Amino acid sequence: MMLAAFTHPVFDSQRNFRELLQAMARPASPRTLPVLAPAPVPATPAAMAILLTLCDTSTSVWLQQADEALSQHLRFHTGCGLVQTPVEADFALITDPTTMPPLDTFALGDPRYPDRSASLIVQVEAFHANTGPRFAGPGIRDVERVRIDGLPERFWRERVALASRLPLGIDLYFVAAQNILALPRTTRQLED
Amino acid sequence: MDTSPHLARPQWMSLLAQAEPAELAAAMAPFAPPAHATWLRPPQTGLYMLRGRIGGTGPQFNLGEVSVTRCSVQIDGHIGHAWVRGGNTKHAELAACADAWLQASDKHPQLSAQVLEPLRQSLQARREAASRKAAASKVEFFTVVRGE
Repeated sequence: MMLAAFTHPVFDSQRNFRELLQAMARPASPRTLPVLAPAPVPATPAAMAILLTLCDTSTSVWLQQADEALSQHLRFHTGCGLVQTPVEADFALITDPTTMPPLDTFALGDPRYPDRSASLIVQVEAFHANTGPRFAGPGIRDVERVRIDGLPERFWRERVALASRLPLGIDLYFVAAQNILALPRTTRQLED
Repeated sequence: MDTSPHLARPQWMSLLAQAEPAELAAAMAPFAPPAHATWLRPPQTGLYMLRGRIGGTGPQFNLGEVSVTRCSVQIDGHIGHAWVRGGNTKHAELAACADAWLQASDKHPQLSAQVLEPLRQSLQARREAASRKAAASKVEFFTVVRGE
């Protein structure tokens, strides 16, 4: 059985796109995605809504858990290309962060074209604002605190290691239920 | 083409797409989309670039853009697709429904007889009328041979 996508493909993706832009502009601050989309497991409705909003025939997607129904769903509704290795991907869907590949296996961009890098959509358990690690960088007035549940310990070490590669790097969207939170490459995690 | 009563899927999709919307609607009246149908892709109208080759062998050229309405529906596990020329969303919906049901072995004979057959005859009649009209306007050119 295949599932439908957005009820109003144009308006729904525009509303989501606005919210994704806002999430990237105000990093580490949780927001709510306005429109969700039906999703085959292991993708969640919010993660699927992001993919439907951002992907089209000119983007390539890597699925951490390549499920036949999920692949078919994405190909039908977005026309995106599905790639076999993380380094080829414009977007990657991480459905199980505990077993995700190291961050530096994804495309970090080219020094002349840093935008040719991967954006990761990571399905996590929950976010808790105003507690946990502190973040600073463009788009954050002083510091922003947020704790993200469901990520492996090594994830933060790998992300800190990428900081020295700026302007190369990867941008992250975290998804928990209907909430999204973005961590662009420019957002630094402050040491306690 | 379209002469065999047993059509393969590409042929019946073509026939549904070329049908007159009113005739398709009349033929599909007893087969209205059921409430449990999932509209995987509601009718959307867009532009396609038509490309051609002179004589079928020359280099490709862009003939022009044509508006196309596409639609996909899932009924009882069968997915029906339709691409129809123009902006008639109802036509695309009905063609997609017919395509889904024609894949179901229990519905196929009924739809084949009540929908495809009348559409096929109508298309054939339209083609014959068009070619008769064209034939009537055929001009024979004569060249007077000069005796030298």
